[in-house]
Amino acid sequence: MRATLTLIRREFTAYFYSPIAYVVFAFFLLATGYLFSLTMNQLTEHGPRGVEYPLQMLLGDERFWLIFVSVLPLITMRLFAEERSTGTLEMLLTAPLQDWQVVAAKFAACFAFYAFLWLPTLLYLPVLLGFDWQSRQAAVDYRPVLTTYFGLAMVGAMFLALGLFVSSLVRSQLVAALISLAMSLVFVVAAFWRPELDTGSLSYKLRNFVSVPVHFHSDFTRGQLDSRSIILYGSTALFCLFLTVRSLESRRWR
Amino acid sequence: MMIQVDRLTKYYGDYAAVRDVSFQVKAGQVVGFLGPNGAGKSTTMRILAGYLTATSGSVQIAGLDVFWKPVEVRRHIGYMPESCPLYAEMRVEEYLRFRAGLKGVYGSNRRSRMDYVLQRCWLKDVRRQLIGTLSKGFRQRVGLADALIANPKLLILDEPTAGLDPAQIRETRSLIRELGKDHTVLLSTHILSEVTRTCDHVIIINKGQVALDRSLKDGDTAEQLEELFVRISDSEERVKRPMPAGRN
Repeated sequence: MRATLTLIRREFTAYFYSPIAYVVFAFFLLATGYLFSLTMNQLTEHGPRGVEYPLQMLLGDERFWLIFVSVLPLITMRLFAEERSTGTLEMLLTAPLQDWQVVAAKFAACFAFYAFLWLPTLLYLPVLLGFDWQSRQAAVDYRPVLTTYFGLAMVGAMFLALGLFVSSLVRSQLVAALISLAMSLVFVVAAFWRPELDTGSLSYKLRNFVSVPVHFHSDFTRGQLDSRSIILYGSTALFCLFLTVRSLESRRWR
Repeated sequence: MMIQVDRLTKYYGDYAAVRDVSFQVKAGQVVGFLGPNGAGKSTTMRILAGYLTATSGSVQIAGLDVFWKPVEVRRHIGYMPESCPLYAEMRVEEYLRFRAGLKGVYGSNRRSRMDYVLQRCWLKDVRRQLIGTLSKGFRQRVGLADALIANPKLLILDEPTAGLDPAQIRETRSLIRELGKDHTVLLSTHILSEVTRTCDHVIIINKGQVALDRSLKDGDTAEQLEELFVRISDSEERVKRPMPAGRN
């Protein structure tokens, strides 16, 4: 257990040794900041137009998800691919650590970094929700915020696990990033794809089942927790982690 | 018996890197592992260290089977691979603390072990330096320090003096000789004079099979060993065997 914690600590701090983390951070802050300003404009406009769920403006938008999905592979690409190409994977796998502990530690570290990425957005919340410091009351319901962050955690887990799995298969970081991007796009492009589909048809339902922006637009940002999406994210994440452990173990029979 | 290798075989696809290798290493011995390039030394060492799995045969280290109890076996081993891979962006101290943590060494024990290996491997002056800025010799020493940090019973060193200058080779050699008093050492090298000076047993591997396995007597010289080596490698017209593509 303590060995896993040591590895988590080292993997997490390793992010901050390379410039990629800072570039990702800056880019992410720019994207969320821009969306925040858009939402603020909507909220403060005069007249009858308003926003019922501020977070829906931020996160229900497909454009945000395109950016999001292109940033996450940058976090996961180095996890195994770099170790494989520099040879340090050999040192890691000859330490008295089980394969699943290695995978769990890497996942925990990249998830911690992902959580760290979202931390600055907590600063937007008092403003977005019209928080009154005197009475400690928010003008807008705060519960959708909780469900949104929960949804973000789950969706992050899914994309990160996917990226981790792809990284464990390839040697080149760039290839890992591109393949994870392609695979993650399936979840996001579904929202754009063929908007003219008949709303009752099976393909419409399938498309909406998979599409992450739709989940956020209709459920998470409005305070609903739809178990279908949560189970989708959770099970995909667990499955990808399982596959990653198997991929590491596969060297035993190669 | 520290290491017991029984009919070890490893195939990379159709290519037999190691075929029916059997040998034993008693506790406290310093064994020199020799062989031409491509003979299967690194593969054997990797199997012993637990990084690769054998296609058939068994390996037991300190009585534990490497296949069935890999994690326990790794606690007894300090492994230093040929290429000595390290994280270039970490400092020496940081890296050793990290490796000690992975190997289950914590607290005040960790601090004392770190002081000990930093001193033993002559790393005290560079303890706060980034590994990426170190020269090859220092990096090898960091690798060696890492192998020593958890005080393992068995040290598996793959070409520990590769790429070092003569002064560093001499220092490393004396270090290995000292370590041989408290640990079992299996080291592979191309420098035969090293073998005669530090080892008390020699195993020569050729084309994936053990060609020679005997103790070194006081009278053995490097020239005699070289003669043996050349004779073994040339005995079956050495044809250049192509390396299989999948070796990682």
